[in-house]
Amino acid sequence: MAIDSRKIIEVASSLPITSNERGIMGAFGVYALMNYNEFYFKLVSRITGEMDDAEAQVMEQSLYHAVLECGYHTFHGVRTSMHWREHVLPMIRSTEDEVHALVAFTNIFGIGFIEVEELVPGEKLVTTVQNAYDAGRYLEEYGLQRRGRCYLLNACTASYMDLVYGPRYPKGIGTFMAREEVCRAMGHDTCRFIAQRHLA
Amino acid sequence: MTFTTKFDPAHNIMTLNGVPVSLHCHHYNCGLLQVIEKFPRIDAHNILIRTAAEEFCQNFKSYLADQLRGCTKADALRQAADLYRVMGFGRIDLSQLKEEGGTAVADSSYFVVGWLAKYGRRPNPVCFVTCGFIAGILAAVFNALPETYEVKETDCLVTGGECCTFSVRRRHDGH
Repeated sequence: MAIDSRKIIEVASSLPITSNERGIMGAFGVYALMNYNEFYFKLVSRITGEMDDAEAQVMEQSLYHAVLECGYHTFHGVRTSMHWREHVLPMIRSTEDEVHALVAFTNIFGIGFIEVEELVPGEKLVTTVQNAYDAGRYLEEYGLQRRGRCYLLNACTASYMDLVYGPRYPKGIGTFMAREEVCRAMGHDTCRFIAQRHLA
Repeated sequence: MTFTTKFDPAHNIMTLNGVPVSLHCHHYNCGLLQVIEKFPRIDAHNILIRTAAEEFCQNFKSYLADQLRGCTKADALRQAADLYRVMGFGRIDLSQLKEEGGTAVADSSYFVVGWLAKYGRRPNPVCFVTCGFIAGILAAVFNALPETYEVKETDCLVTGGECCTFSVRRRHDGH
């Protein structure tokens, strides 16, 4: 594996992702917005807190798909960017390297420190995150949770596999499905996500 | 520029003036709004506005205390508009707002641009986070609680309006 994750994070984090004079931040083919992590946590936890279990499940599934689209389109923009071609592409020697590089790149967006634990080419990706914001806040605010709370990182894990091993963009979305196996909000010391081919 | 983003490479955490932030694209932000609007039983717009108001009030209050101590209310509102721009929400004019309320106008809006790109036009306004932003900023500037201000978007670019217009009033009845 030729990917230097630290170097990717270092270079990518110095990219000038800034808004223009009209306050619009275009980056990697999408419109980016900077917002407080606490805002997202409170918004989603308050809304699901007013729902019954069935509604909450529908909401969480819908959020998963919203993030999947976010990850799929953003990371496609990332891997077709001039920045990627200049700094990252020279490191990539295999299809698997591309997965490692995309995971490393994700770390500049402020959603947590995500790393690859296991990659079975074309079949399975396992990622871990030690400092997922929502997991820690659920634990602080609501105590131990019965299920994982990191829908964001969960869907991201599927999006890498969709892009790299799914049908050519934009037809590959949903090829893989991820689940959060363990979560800090459930009392574990890390959050772990497993993306596998979606068989349904 | 007085708003500083920092990236902590040891933990891959991003902060804006010391507060954790993250970057998300319009597929997520607009998707999130669309998801929470699916449940008519839940007053999602109210929760969204209230949550945004709380976060902007708390963080802008800290910012005022740290960096703008003694500045005029007009200066504080100018800085708030710059914060709005820096975070990528769009361009907004807060200069006509007073302690009792008033009108704010945005000629550029993230949620409008994002929603149009993803879903096209909609019949009702989309800038709910901006309503919360205005309520929170006014609460911080005039030393009030975030729920003190009621903000309604009366016209929105997403519906074909000339600009996004926000009508603001200060509640005196405690509601």
